[in-house]
Amino acid sequence: MILNSESMKPIYVQIAEWLETEILGESIKSDEKVYSQYQLAEMLNINPATAAKGLNILADENILYKKRGLGMFVSAEAKKIIAVKRRNQTLKSLVAELVREAEHLKVTEEELIAMIQEAKRELKGDS
Amino acid sequence: MYLTKVSLLDVVAKQFRFKLKSFRGMFTSLMLLQVMAILFSLGGEGGGGGGSDTFSYDMKFYSGNIIMAFMLIWAFISAIVVTTQAYRYDDYAFVANRLSSHLANILFLGWASVIGGVTFALASQSLKLSVLFLKDREFIESHPLTLLQMTEGLAATILYLFLFTAIGYLVGMLVQWNKIFMIILPGLLFGSLFLNVLLGSESTFVIDIGQFFVRETSFLLFTLKVLLASALTYGIAAWVSNSLEVRK
Amino acid sequence: MSVLEFDSVTKAYGRKKALDNLSFSLGENKITGLIGRNGAGKTTMLKIAAGFMKETSGDVRAFGEHPFNNLMVSANMIMIDNDMNMPTALDLEEIMASAADFYHNWDMDLAKKLFDYFSLNPRQTHTGLSKGMKNTFNAILGLASRCPLTIFDEPTNGMDAGVRKDFYRALLKDYIAYPRTIIISSHHLSEVEDILEDILLLKDGQQFLHMPVEELREYAVVVSGKEEAINSWLRGHEVFHKSDQAFGRSYAVIRNDLTDDQIGVAMKSGLEFSTISNEDLCLYLTSQEKGGIDDVFNKG
Repeated sequence: MILNSESMKPIYVQIAEWLETEILGESIKSDEKVYSQYQLAEMLNINPATAAKGLNILADENILYKKRGLGMFVSAEAKKIIAVKRRNQTLKSLVAELVREAEHLKVTEEELIAMIQEAKRELKGDS
Repeated sequence: MYLTKVSLLDVVAKQFRFKLKSFRGMFTSLMLLQVMAILFSLGGEGGGGGGSDTFSYDMKFYSGNIIMAFMLIWAFISAIVVTTQAYRYDDYAFVANRLSSHLANILFLGWASVIGGVTFALASQSLKLSVLFLKDREFIESHPLTLLQMTEGLAATILYLFLFTAIGYLVGMLVQWNKIFMIILPGLLFGSLFLNVLLGSESTFVIDIGQFFVRETSFLLFTLKVLLASALTYGIAAWVSNSLEVRK
Repeated sequence: MSVLEFDSVTKAYGRKKALDNLSFSLGENKITGLIGRNGAGKTTMLKIAAGFMKETSGDVRAFGEHPFNNLMVSANMIMIDNDMNMPTALDLEEIMASAADFYHNWDMDLAKKLFDYFSLNPRQTHTGLSKGMKNTFNAILGLASRCPLTIFDEPTNGMDAGVRKDFYRALLKDYIAYPRTIIISSHHLSEVEDILEDILLLKDGQQFLHMPVEELREYAVVVSGKEEAINSWLRGHEVFHKSDQAFGRSYAVIRNDLTDDQIGVAMKSGLEFSTISNEDLCLYLTSQEKGGIDDVFNKG
């Protein structure tokens, strides 16, 4: 993972999102141990407190759970929680931006839907 | 959090070791001075001569006085060097406080006096030998010394050197405290000499102080006098330095 | 326990106050970045903390004791700065040996490895080093001594970019292995901020901000747009900096206490929001007056 210090997002949010992606992609499976704050700090060259903050966000959302003295583990519902969250937050705001841009360019709703369908077809064609 | 506990003596010992290494240049200058002093002394200090038709003689005195004078100046100046800002700041590169710094300095200057005393004894011996070889004369010693006398002589040399380091330390600290002392102190010294000459009196203030030590015939009392005077002088120097910043 | 605590500390040089009623408290085992413009009082504060200078008034505590002339504080603290004095007679290897003698936690293995890595010469004297090399060597002393309170005052001055990066990485790795309280003062916040936990911002000898560095990132926000729109919208917001740009546009840095609704309304009226780097933010927060270098040229 490469941190983007120019990004609007704070580093701990970037860490949380990166771990989410790793969990979604099953690089880290449920009930597996995730990196400790110190491992993250060394990997990413950041303060361990910042890394801990990233982990704690995920723990607060029940994506990770703590085992006393052992570290943090991926919860069983982790993937589901992440999927729901991304749908409600990330996707929603992306759509909102899409709609705003379409409004700006006077693209009608039908045209926009057609564009989305086309993009979907292209994605399928590629894969 | 684990904090290191420290004892004053422990830190003083560490600083002393540190100073032995970092002030080693002082001993180089000591050796150079002694060689120079021996060369000066080879000329002899005085003498005379005479004779008649059948024989003539000439006579010369040689002594370690010049070497001793050089070494007292060395002790004085070394102590001043120790009080200069760069050397004081060196102390605070690592662990130190004012008291440990003064104690380590005094310990070091005491050690330097011992080295000075021992090398002085050796230097005056080498002077004797040099004279014998260079002048190719029979050697007549004026007063053969007993072992006790030699030991007392060595101890007295060391004590004198130590006294001069104490005076140098005080003078150095006064100058560090206020540069005006660079003018006042020599002024006082030469002023008192000048006044005495002007008034035509026999003794001078500076010599009077010297007499206090030189005239002492009991070795024990002499030792006490020197140590007390040195302690007092070092004490005043430490007190003066209290208003100096430790490291900027 | 608080490792370092300042309570209404003032340091005056004649009539000028280098520190003016400064109060803060540093928690144990945190890396704190000390930030401020030249003359903000950073070095004075650090030297008082280290016990090299005495405060004019107020109370200073390091490990619960007054640091000035204090042997316990001295033994548990090291301050690395640009004008560190080292005896001229000693070479670098001897200086390291002396440091090992003085500091209880000294790690000679680490010191030697760093020494070789940065290609220093053991026979070299301290005064013979270039500025960058001297600071590299001093930094090694600071790391290897592993003091519970380690202070670096502008440690990377004169170092080239590669050495700076290596130094901060070495600092972080050693800190993770041996946590301790570290203060780093720097002009270049951007090069240190990632390894900091807290940030302490000084301005005119006073504490301006003291917060986790991640919170600082969300402390302020940049809003830009048409001058009239900005000017009317800015009312009621705390403005840290505002400047007018070309084509009738304005740019303002404001306190980030906005609700989503406020942002939504603002965006509808054509204003744009973006974040600001911590380094730039600190510059704006500590600038002496509103405006900037451009005003110097505009007045004519």
